[in-house]
Amino acid sequence: MKFSVNWLREFVDLPKNPEEIAELLTRAGIETKNIETRGAKIDNVVVSQITASSRHPNADRLTVCQVDDGSGTKRQIVCGATNYKVGDKVPLALPGAKLPNGTEIRKSKLRGVESEGMLCSAIELGVGQDADGLLILSPEARIGAPIGDLFPADTILDVEITPNRGDLLSYFGLAREIAALSGKKLKSMPREVKAEIRRSGVTIDATRECPFFSARSVDNVKVGPSPQWLRAKIESVGIRSINNIVDISNFVMLELGQPTHAFDADKLRGSINVRLARDGEKFLALDGKTYSLNHDNCVVADQERAIGIGGVMGGEETGVTDSTKNILLEAAYFLPASIRRTARNLSLPTDASYRFERGVDPEMILRASHRATELVREIAGGTPAKEIHVAGKLPADPADVTLSYEKCDRVIGVAIKPKTVDEILTHFGLKKTGSTSKAGIWKIPSYRRDLQRDVDLIEEVVRAYGIDKIPGTTRGRFMSMTKADRSHDLETLFLRERLAGSGLSEVRTSKLISRSASAFTEDAIELRNPLSEDHVALRPSLISGLLGVLERNIRAGAESVSVFEIGRAFIPPDGKEERHLGILLWGNVASSPNWRSQTKRNLDLFDLKGVLECVVPNLSFRPVTSPDFALAVEVWSGDQPVGLGGQLPASKSSAPGSVLVAELRSTPDSPLAKSTAKKFRELDRFPSVTRDIAMIVPDEISHDKILRTIQEPREPLLESVDLFDLFAEQGGATRKSLAYRLTYRNRSRTLKSDEVNEGHARIRERLKRELGVTLRE
Amino acid sequence: MAHPLEQLRDDALREVDSALDEKALDVVRVGYLGRNGSISAWGEQMKTLDNEERPVIGKLLNEVRNAVTAAIEERTGKFRSQKESEALAGLDVSLPGTPHEYGALHPLHQMHERGIQIFRRMGFALADGPDIEDEWHCFDALNTPPEHPARNEQDTFYLSDGRLLRTHTSTVQIRAMESVPPPLRVIASGAAYRRDEVDATHSAQFHQIEGLYVDENVSVADLKGELEFFLRELFGSETEVQFRPHYFPFTEPSLEVYVRSKALKRGEQWIEVAGCGMVHPAVFEAVNKARGDKVYDPEKWSGYAFGLGMDRLAMILFDIPDIRLFAQNDLRFLKQFA
Repeated sequence: MKFSVNWLREFVDLPKNPEEIAELLTRAGIETKNIETRGAKIDNVVVSQITASSRHPNADRLTVCQVDDGSGTKRQIVCGATNYKVGDKVPLALPGAKLPNGTEIRKSKLRGVESEGMLCSAIELGVGQDADGLLILSPEARIGAPIGDLFPADTILDVEITPNRGDLLSYFGLAREIAALSGKKLKSMPREVKAEIRRSGVTIDATRECPFFSARSVDNVKVGPSPQWLRAKIESVGIRSINNIVDISNFVMLELGQPTHAFDADKLRGSINVRLARDGEKFLALDGKTYSLNHDNCVVADQERAIGIGGVMGGEETGVTDSTKNILLEAAYFLPASIRRTARNLSLPTDASYRFERGVDPEMILRASHRATELVREIAGGTPAKEIHVAGKLPADPADVTLSYEKCDRVIGVAIKPKTVDEILTHFGLKKTGSTSKAGIWKIPSYRRDLQRDVDLIEEVVRAYGIDKIPGTTRGRFMSMTKADRSHDLETLFLRERLAGSGLSEVRTSKLISRSASAFTEDAIELRNPLSEDHVALRPSLISGLLGVLERNIRAGAESVSVFEIGRAFIPPDGKEERHLGILLWGNVASSPNWRSQTKRNLDLFDLKGVLECVVPNLSFRPVTSPDFALAVEVWSGDQPVGLGGQLPASKSSAPGSVLVAELRSTPDSPLAKSTAKKFRELDRFPSVTRDIAMIVPDEISHDKILRTIQEPREPLLESVDLFDLFAEQGGATRKSLAYRLTYRNRSRTLKSDEVNEGHARIRERLKRELGVTLRE
Repeated sequence: MAHPLEQLRDDALREVDSALDEKALDVVRVGYLGRNGSISAWGEQMKTLDNEERPVIGKLLNEVRNAVTAAIEERTGKFRSQKESEALAGLDVSLPGTPHEYGALHPLHQMHERGIQIFRRMGFALADGPDIEDEWHCFDALNTPPEHPARNEQDTFYLSDGRLLRTHTSTVQIRAMESVPPPLRVIASGAAYRRDEVDATHSAQFHQIEGLYVDENVSVADLKGELEFFLRELFGSETEVQFRPHYFPFTEPSLEVYVRSKALKRGEQWIEVAGCGMVHPAVFEAVNKARGDKVYDPEKWSGYAFGLGMDRLAMILFDIPDIRLFAQNDLRFLKQFA
């Protein structure tokens, strides 16, 4: 809410400097979002009166005005606005004036007609937001007076009021808080009602939604423009002046925090009843729109129709207009939850609903009515009725709260003297109604319904005592490792380190994906209320995000993209959350050419397999078919499947060349975690012997098959087998040439040449016999 | 008069000295020490000597052999080091090193990791909870019932089954307390979602580290001291930390945390980094209800909770101007943080 510092000063003494006020509030948890200086002194701008106006001879949109600036001679001003009439008083910037927006005014000719100054709008003077048309001043303004007299310099504080502090949504409320925080006295208090209270004339059917309602009539009012002071006040915080009656209602809301509403009494048909709307009941509101209501909405009605959405907005048909003679002034209490529901369901948040939602002060309702009545009498004339009609009952006072001083100290962590605690709470308007040596019983003021339990009072103590005065302490607890710790360590200390060490960069893509992205896996959990086309569903897989990364980097000129992501995926149909590892490889082996290696080879499936070997123990690929891949493999770790990978079909991506992806599930109990369990094995003390086997084999015999033939039955001395050469003959050949290095070792003694030869010969024999390979010597 | 062996040695040493390369040296070696070399031949002659002479000549033969071998080795070493220096003399050491491709860890991950490391030093274990939540964990259990002004459904993403994407990681507070009795000292790092227009400082998905400490007599002073410790560990010991009262439905008192440090680009400005407070008794009561017991007795246990905005922290620490860079994953951006 915006507060004028000048206005606020009418209630409480404030520090001179607005920054100090902001600091005082901020330290107490009331954040000042913005400080704006207004209406700074502008020299050479005076109140003038338009005495004649004629059309500009050379321009359709301009008029030529004669104005009286109080100097005795008339000035001729060319003007583009149309919202004035002859006789209006308006601000006149004389030649030599410099406006807050930087414009310097001088005598000039506009389309051939002399103009001796400029008539100004509110925004040009920096005294309001209104940019359409001239700022029409009050008829009482003295011609020739400096404009600064009407708009004294002011500072506007934009203060963020948290939802629990509805009591601060008024000048009086904020002043009361500042007084409590700074130990100052409030300068004025809202007066008690002097009218006679009659429990008649109005009725409430919806007693839950509207526990209390009051109406007071004022007859023979004269509706017209507001006096300058009133307009200046409400406009200073951004409320547009309508007429004196509506302005008074808004003024009282700003001043005391209680919304009121004035009806044109002559348009009401019978007495007022507050009831729930009928389903489908139509209502034309003051904003000119028709709302379709339901039984959840509380309406203020006469005997024939709704005349207001209770606590939200009045009706167009019964609103105050220039011809209104008699008014009926409403001041009521509406149930916060009901108001919130209604304002939200109708998408009609108003200044009134904002305050009712947060709870108004029951004790302020009749005072506000009285204040408005008095103002109407002063400003618009009229005779207030001697009585005020009420129905229902005010919400009960908040319950007393008991605060133990020991608990206060315990929660805050420092010992604060009971006397200090008492002083603080008393400043905030609480009254001690009873006490023991250990605790006080506190009566809560009607406007502080947020104070419900002892911790709420402790917070007040912290705010006023000053959080800065509480010295920080530290303590600790030893915690056992949790499942989340293990998962984190697997992912961070193992997967991330290994993959980054292998040259892949980590990416983090959005978990919310677009509809087109979800096409990769047909189902995805969709949002009911997405905000943009880019974020409509929860990713069921990391691959679509990785493809987005690929495309972006190709556009940025990358020659090679090797990335991984570790994060959650949401598995349809119920959105089970799994942690996944996604990998994408594309492009050249090296990200840029370098002088040591001229290799210009594109990354392929075996590069993907190599990366996976870093993180998956006992990795194997098993071919499968999948419509999403040109070549798909299941990724296995030993005898457990851990994910899917392969090469994407060209249709899935606009990237030139092959795109390789894999997606694995990563959980602390997945086989991936097994690679983190490490055990020492004795270092080899005896040398190994190696023997190579080169062979030509038919194409259809796989490496895996050859490997198994070499390894089974097991030769006890054979330690390892490595493929070190592969040559596929070109041009439709059906054979390939492979070379393996076999390493033999005995872990407890030096090998003899003969025993190696024997075993090696058995393996060669087996290859020939079982696979029909041709061995090369 | 010198023994013929001594003569042989002197000849050999002279030839070693005059050999001009390793190849010539090898010829010398073969000539004297090879199988049929002239010094080796003395080994055969030993057999013909009588018992008196044999030890004397044997000793001499050894000395000669060792002297010649040593000279050859020395000369070989000289040739090799000479060759080596010649080869290296012309090397342009200004050539670039052989490139090693290394990957970068995402700056947001690095930020989370830094945070987690510090909190682990402070004795926090990790906790976790789902991104897809129900209204109870996201709002009701956190003392934000329907119609509460702080409950903003407009800013919340819903699934068609009525579940939602958590709007804060505070849901993990509830999840953790549901599964473990007090005392409890955990952090949870994860994503939360808000139905916010995306711009340079707002993202539909953002990241937090949530913390919860429930124990006997946990106080505002502990919350203050421990978060101050964390933030100074993170931003440097010079960092100023300010706590300002605020309002969250699930903590009482509630505070916002600001930091200011000359070491940061934003210099003198106070920057908001976290929301925190003392766990509201209503939150403990909701947890008890869900657990079906009374172990989180608000009169026995107290606790603090906090939520740190990790995107904001990473932006501050790494001078990143736009939150959207995190999700774009341009490798030129990522590699800056390798």
